[in-house]
Amino acid sequence: MNSTLKRRALPRPSTIVTTVLTFAILAIAAVAIVAPFLWIFRGAISASDAELYELPPSPFPTEATLENFGKVFEQVPYGRFILNSLVVAGSITAAQLITCSTAGYAFARLSFPGRGVAFALVIGSLMIPLQVTIVPLFLVMSKLGLTNTLWALILPGVFSAFGIFLLRQHFLSLPRELEEAARIDGAGHVRTFFQVILPLSGPALATLGILTFTYWWNDLLMPLVMIRDVENQTLPVGLVLLAGRFSTGSLGTIAAGITLAIIPVLVVFIVAQRWIVQSIASSGLKL
Amino acid sequence: MLAPAAGVILLSFFNWNLLSDGRFIGLANFARLFTDGRLLAVYGSTAYMAFAILAVNVTIGLLLAVLLETRMPRWLRGFFRLSFLFPFVVSSSAVALIWRFLLNKDLGLVNFWLGEWFDVGRIDWLGSSFWAPISVIIVSSWKTLGFSILVYIAGLQSIPNEIREAAIVDGTNAWQRFWRITLPLLSPTVFFLIVINTINAFQLFAEPRVLTTGGPGDASRTIVQYIYDTAFGSFDLGYASTIGITLLLVLIVLTAIQFRVSRRWTFYE
Repeated sequence: MNSTLKRRALPRPSTIVTTVLTFAILAIAAVAIVAPFLWIFRGAISASDAELYELPPSPFPTEATLENFGKVFEQVPYGRFILNSLVVAGSITAAQLITCSTAGYAFARLSFPGRGVAFALVIGSLMIPLQVTIVPLFLVMSKLGLTNTLWALILPGVFSAFGIFLLRQHFLSLPRELEEAARIDGAGHVRTFFQVILPLSGPALATLGILTFTYWWNDLLMPLVMIRDVENQTLPVGLVLLAGRFSTGSLGTIAAGITLAIIPVLVVFIVAQRWIVQSIASSGLKL
Repeated sequence: MLAPAAGVILLSFFNWNLLSDGRFIGLANFARLFTDGRLLAVYGSTAYMAFAILAVNVTIGLLLAVLLETRMPRWLRGFFRLSFLFPFVVSSSAVALIWRFLLNKDLGLVNFWLGEWFDVGRIDWLGSSFWAPISVIIVSSWKTLGFSILVYIAGLQSIPNEIREAAIVDGTNAWQRFWRITLPLLSPTVFFLIVINTINAFQLFAEPRVLTTGGPGDASRTIVQYIYDTAFGSFDLGYASTIGITLLLVLIVLTAIQFRVSRRWTFYE
C-alpha cells in the first residue's frame, strides 16, 4: 500500500506525551491479553502443584516437566476429543464450502422460478440463531437416532444462511463479462462455475472456511446437548470435564489440557493470520 | 434451515418431556411466560451483561483501534494486532477456565495483584451477585475485543486519506478531525459492530456456564442457559421452545430498533 508514503508527507501531529501515552495504553492492553495465556503455559510445565498457588508467582517454574501432558491423556480420552473436534469442524467446513458456494452462485446468477422467495427465506433465517432452535434440533436428531453420534453435530451445520449470503455477495461483485466470454466459448453453467468462478473466489472461500471452522471448533452448546458418552465429546466439553475432576486432577494437568487445546489454534493462527485478519475485516463491510 | 424454526413454534404449543411424546396444550406455555418470575430475572441479567459487553467493545475497541493506527514500526503493529485478536480464536470454554483460576477469591492472581497495588480486600469475583455478572462481562469482552478492533481498523483504513489531508490543510487539530471527520465516516462500522455485538452477546452461553454456572441465584444466568436448563435439566422441551421464541422476538425487535435509529446517525458517502 502506498498509504505509508502519504502518511510520511503529513506534518507530525503528535507530541512526545501523546506518543508515550499511546504506547503505554497499547502495551498495558497487550499484556492484559497475553499474560493469562503465558501463566497457563507456565503452569502446564510446572512440576509441583503447590508452586502454582504461590503468590506472587515466580516467572519460571523451579522444575520443568512434561509429565502433566501425559496425565491429561490418562484422565480423559483427550486424543478422542481432538479427533472428534477435527472431524466435526472439518466436515462442516467442507460441506459448507460446497453447499454455500453452489447455492450462492444460484442466487447470484441463475434465474429460476421462486428465486426471490427462496432468497428471502435465506435472509430471514439469518436472523434465527441456532440457540433458539436447539430444542427441535435435538428432537429431530433423537427421532433419527443420531443423538450421541457426531452426525448430530455435523448435520445441523451443513447449510448456513450466512455463508450463502456472504458468497452470493462475492459472486455478484465478479464482472459478468467473464461468464459471458465463457458462455461464448461454449461452457455451460457447471463448467463456468468450476473453471471461471471458483478460481476467482479463493479469498471469499477462505473467509467462509476460517469463520466456520473456528466457530464449530469452539462450540460448547451443541455437544453438551447432543452427546452423552464421554468418548464422543469434542474438545470444549472435554476441557470442562477435565477441569471438573478437580479432586482427582491437579491444576498442572488442567493447565496442560488447556495448553494442548490452544497450541494447534496458535499455530494455525500465526500461519494463517493474514487471511484471518482479512476475513474478519471484510465481514465488517457488509451492512 | 427453516424447519427447526417451524419446529420451535410448533413445540411451544406442547407439553413435551423427554420420556413421553408431546401433548397439545394450546397457549398454556405462553401464559406461563407471564407468571415465570425467573424469566424476567434472567432477561434482566442477560440484558445487563449484553449491553455492558457491547459498550466495552464499541468504545474501548474504537480507542485501541485508533491508537493502533498511529505511526509505529510494522512488526510492533503486527504484534499488537495479533495479541489482541488471539483470544477470539480460542474456545470460550478454555478462556473461561483460565479466568476461573485467575479470578479465584483466595488463590487467584487478580485479587493478589489488586491487593498488592491498590490495597483492596479480596473480591468474591465468581461468588457474589454483584461481581459475578461483572466477571462474565470482563471475560467475554476480553475475548471479543480483538474482533471489534479489527473491524474498526478495516473501517478506519477505508477512509480516504485525501479527506484527512484536506482537513489538515484547513488547520484542524487531531481532536477536531476525530470528531468531525473520522467518527462520522466510521459510523457504518460502529453500526455494524453494535448490531453484531448485540446479537452475539444475547446468545452468551459458554462463559457464564463455565465461570459461574449462572449463579449466584440467577445473577449471571443468560437466556440461552435458561433454555438449556429448562430443556435438558427439567426436561421441559415445550416451555424451553417457548422461551426460545421470546429470544428470537427480542433479537428481531432490538435489531429493528437499531436499524431505525441508525438512519439518524449513520452517514454513508
